[in-house]
Amino acid sequence: MPGWRRVAGDPALLVAIVVLWALLALFVIYPLAELLRRAFVDEGRLTLAPLLEALADESHRAAFFNSLLLATSVGGLGTALGFLFAFTAVRGGLPRHWLTVLDAAALLPLVSPPFTTSISIIFSFGPKGFISHGLLGLANVSPYGFWSTTLAETLTYFPIAYLTLRPILAAIDPNLEEMAFSLGGSRWRIFRTVTLPLAVPGFANAFLLLFAASLADFATPLILAGNSFPVLPTQAFLQITGMFDFKGGAILSLVLLVPAAAVFLLQRYWVGRRAYVTVTGKVGQRSRTRALAPWAGVLLVAGCFLVAATIVYFYALLLFASLVVAFGANNSFTLSHYQVIFTEGLPAIRDTLIIAAIGMPLGGFYGVLVGYLIARKNFPGRHAMELVAMINYALPGTIVGIAYLIAFNDPPLALTGGALIIVACYVFRYSPTGIRATVALLQQIDRSLEEASSSLGAGSSETFRRVTLPLIAPAFFAGLGVVFIRSMTAISATIFLVSISWTLITVRILENMTEMALGPAAAFSVFVIVVVYLVVAGLSAVLVRLRAPAAGAAARSFLGG
Amino acid sequence: MAPISIRLDRVSKRFDHTVKGEVYAVRDVTLAVQQGELLTLLGPSGCGKSTTLRMIAGFEEPDEGTIFIEGQDVTHVLPNRRGIGFMFQNYALFPHLTVFENVAYGLRVQGRDATSLTRAVEEVLELVGLANYGRQQPHQLSGGEQQRVALARAVVFQPKVLLFDEPLSNLDAKLRVEMREQIRSLQKRIGITTVYVTHDQEEAMAISDRIAVMERGAVVQDGTAQDLYYRPLTEFVARFIGRTNLLVARVVTAGEVDVEGLRIPLASGRDVGEVVRLVVRPEMIDIAPAAVGEAGSGRITQRTFLGEKTDYEITFGSTTLQVTRSDTFRGPSLDVGDDVRVSVDPTRIHSLGQPISP
Repeated sequence: MPGWRRVAGDPALLVAIVVLWALLALFVIYPLAELLRRAFVDEGRLTLAPLLEALADESHRAAFFNSLLLATSVGGLGTALGFLFAFTAVRGGLPRHWLTVLDAAALLPLVSPPFTTSISIIFSFGPKGFISHGLLGLANVSPYGFWSTTLAETLTYFPIAYLTLRPILAAIDPNLEEMAFSLGGSRWRIFRTVTLPLAVPGFANAFLLLFAASLADFATPLILAGNSFPVLPTQAFLQITGMFDFKGGAILSLVLLVPAAAVFLLQRYWVGRRAYVTVTGKVGQRSRTRALAPWAGVLLVAGCFLVAATIVYFYALLLFASLVVAFGANNSFTLSHYQVIFTEGLPAIRDTLIIAAIGMPLGGFYGVLVGYLIARKNFPGRHAMELVAMINYALPGTIVGIAYLIAFNDPPLALTGGALIIVACYVFRYSPTGIRATVALLQQIDRSLEEASSSLGAGSSETFRRVTLPLIAPAFFAGLGVVFIRSMTAISATIFLVSISWTLITVRILENMTEMALGPAAAFSVFVIVVVYLVVAGLSAVLVRLRAPAAGAAARSFLGG
Repeated sequence: MAPISIRLDRVSKRFDHTVKGEVYAVRDVTLAVQQGELLTLLGPSGCGKSTTLRMIAGFEEPDEGTIFIEGQDVTHVLPNRRGIGFMFQNYALFPHLTVFENVAYGLRVQGRDATSLTRAVEEVLELVGLANYGRQQPHQLSGGEQQRVALARAVVFQPKVLLFDEPLSNLDAKLRVEMREQIRSLQKRIGITTVYVTHDQEEAMAISDRIAVMERGAVVQDGTAQDLYYRPLTEFVARFIGRTNLLVARVVTAGEVDVEGLRIPLASGRDVGEVVRLVVRPEMIDIAPAAVGEAGSGRITQRTFLGEKTDYEITFGSTTLQVTRSDTFRGPSLDVGDDVRVSVDPTRIHSLGQPISP
């Protein structure tokens, strides 16, 4: 087979493929296989009885449809918000420092632990809420249900869409829009027929990422969905933690595989057919675009600032709550909550930081490497690798957590209780953002650049290092950033993997929430936000230094730098 | 004869087409390029010329056949081990590197030491007339300058062969002529074996030692510009290279053919009564004023004055003749509507291979 011969003649490629497959087999396929075995094999025989039992349950069916409704709403709304921000950032003509403010606000939810928006919504709209009770004087309002969950998840996850769409919009040559404008197209028509279609891969990616994030999220629904709006991940989680029914919980969360796989395939075959080469070796003059009417620009900016103000309000509330004795009841200033987290909470802080610091570089490099291989290299099993690499991301965290728990609990792979298993969980679960960003960016970088490098004598690893990596640096740092942020903030999978010796801040926050210790929960959240913000700021400083040109202006102010 | 530098032996490449199924992009191509020679692959878009070039470079792998560079079988050798310099249609300059670093790229990959690297890069930048451009970014350069950076980058590490994929198609007409002269003189000076792909027959004729005309994945004729112009093997070649009158003639005697009543002395080697097709270039036809209705005469239906020459369209029986004269200033002036006597220099007429039945 010519494909194999070509791979065999390129040792670096061969090694990369073999190593990646070994890792994917160990940390993706094996745990999933173990999970399926536990769910569907009973006393050595295959059985579907537990599955059918679960499907027959009325409340489980409701949870399934609720999950779909929630994920679709969050995917759609989040992509729209992400596009609003990305388009404004790239084409809105805002001065640099205003852009930085906007970026900072937009990225706030992304860098926070999963409960923060939820806590703020309860602080705002709960029975003693600042808005519901304090401002409007309403009594007995319930902040729980579909709308509050959708609001919290949209605000939490739309920055993913923003980060996905922005480099893509930035890479669209404004000359294309200029050209269409000069051809006499109206601005709206150009937006509709030039800009939007060029951004389609970005939309598809963004929607997929948000849909999957919402499906996988159980922290928000755990706090906000309440009894009236059950969703599958929380049902599955409670099945396991409440009833110790591993099999039932596993089966319930496996039901989510169907929509997750469907969205993934839809994205693949929709986006896969379109080629978008707008970054070529031929460099045109970048013109400042006139493709946006002044009033439209004002409207876009106003929309962004409205959203940003909402976010800032939520976080101000959180900060306030962390600094008072008891929010709503005793609003006198205190630092005692911070004292608590830096004494009792210190082990969790230390463990979380160590795990994030190890996972970040591994995840960033892994994401770019896999994205590069599947977008650019033709080797047997390429599509399979892409599919397998996405599995842990597409799977709800509950499944991954249970699968790891089952697979790595016994020798020879008794890894549970250690840090390695948590790092591996983060790397294989959160790097697909980097993979997707790399693929999307590579789709816009002309292949001839890599061929040129190859013709000049560079092997595939050298070409990757000298040409591809600098050009996909924005994607690399997006991947790096996401892995770090998730290491600091995720809970859905790793809540099953923490132990006496290794625990996480997010797990402590959940414990605080259930003990109604809202003050320390708020203080922990504020701490996480500050750390993540510092690291992200550092990353964007590096990116500015690199001046990765493929994404042009995007690289320079990426991640709010 | 110089030794063979590049040899393609029955090379084929298939692609999966969504509608037509498996189609041949390149079919059974056999070619040899001599040391120091510039061979052009010429043909319309989709004829397989670029695919052939990309197989020589190693960007595509042939499904069948063998490719040799300097005697070594490179069919399955990776591009970076082939020692080729490649010029892309879009230049493919690295946007994150300066002009100097773009040119230095191949030498850095080789691990050349700093002093000799700097000297080599500066020399080649000088050679392409960009001596002080080293610190510029590619996007600061004009199209022609980007082109020259790409050229410098492709030759600086002294590849065995140089490959050009329609390098001039993004330039304007005047720059195109200038650049092709520069490419040719550089190629001759360093004496490097070159394969050049273009769809522009004028460019091909100006730049090449030899031209291979491709049609639907196959090489239909391979020869010098003169061979292709005066002795095309097929109608496709005759029509693709230059302008042509393709006349249907009937053999009337062993040494004479008839075109619309015009007798041309031509030893076609065919039987009397057979029909042959003649390739007659516009400048091979002479015209002179004629009386109305005179035998072997036609009428001018269009006249285009182009300065150094004048083009005529002449209705001649049931055919239309393209005629070009560059000596019209000497004779009487001829205009649309005039009747002209048509004569052809029989020594330069070429008849196409296969006879066709009447």
